[in-house]
Amino acid sequence: MAAHPTRRVVLAAAATLPLAAASGCDGVDVLAAPPRPAPDVGQLRAAISAEQLMVARYAAVLASATGAVAAALRPLLAEHQAHLAQLRSRLIVPAGSPTPPPRPPAGRPAVPSAPGAAVAFLREAEQAAAAALLGRLPQAPASLAQLFASIAASEATHVPVLGAVAGQ
Amino acid sequence: MSGRGATGPDAIGALQAALAAEHAAVYGYGVVGANLTGSARATATADWVNHQVARDRLEALLRSRGAQPVAAAVGYQLPVTVRTPAEATALAVIIEDRVATAYLGLVAVTATALRRFGAVQVQAAALRAAAWRGSTVAFPGLTASALAAPRRA
Repeated sequence: MAAHPTRRVVLAAAATLPLAAASGCDGVDVLAAPPRPAPDVGQLRAAISAEQLMVARYAAVLASATGAVAAALRPLLAEHQAHLAQLRSRLIVPAGSPTPPPRPPAGRPAVPSAPGAAVAFLREAEQAAAAALLGRLPQAPASLAQLFASIAASEATHVPVLGAVAGQ
Repeated sequence: MSGRGATGPDAIGALQAALAAEHAAVYGYGVVGANLTGSARATATADWVNHQVARDRLEALLRSRGAQPVAAAVGYQLPVTVRTPAEATALAVIIEDRVATAYLGLVAVTATALRRFGAVQVQAAALRAAAWRGSTVAFPGLTASALAAPRRA
């Protein structure tokens, strides 16, 4: 279709460079001052930690869940894992940075042992996680705010799913 | 972030885009409901009313900012042919996904109140979409290209 696809690709790539440089998140100018963490890095790290906790909680509940409960929880866990991967892909840590990327919490988080209580616990955790992300919107840059809002919406849709599981 | 004003052209444009999506949703749900019966039709009617309320809210937000709200089109070309309940359900999912995407545009503006309003509407659309779809998705409203685009230079 395009007459000069290669040239178009080059032009498109060049067009993104000023934007990336202006954002100041991972400049390639070796003579510039050492990169400082962008103001949104703290928001992103907190969101990553929260998502890691949700993944760990689902894994802990699934470790003893069976049947219909396990079948309902697995797709929700997969969505949290997708959230976590997408959030991590947005985090660019400069080489030699004093703060390493967030690491998963050591050990298994405490979750109720009874299946009904465990599902209710996850339901409340989803509501809290979605609310926390909405609270991060004012300080987040535009693209990160959109990701936070989308993840919060996904977590909000988990709430009625878990409510239906608990009612079984 | 740039120094865009709280009621600058980005906010007006995002509000107009969300309003256009709501106009299309109001039209689309008329078709959805007409092809459903029973409780599914009742759900479609409730969702239709929700989109009318959201449309009116967006029009008020635009007028309060001195902007003329975009009008609904006389007709809309549907993205799918709708003759059966299954096709009506598929259309409802498409409508809600598009509405969620439009409201994510509002989440990108600088005005905090509009961001929150947009995010709440993304949630509402995602909940309706999940009910029609019968399952959830990881990133309501976000397109594959938005997810694939890393911020690296």
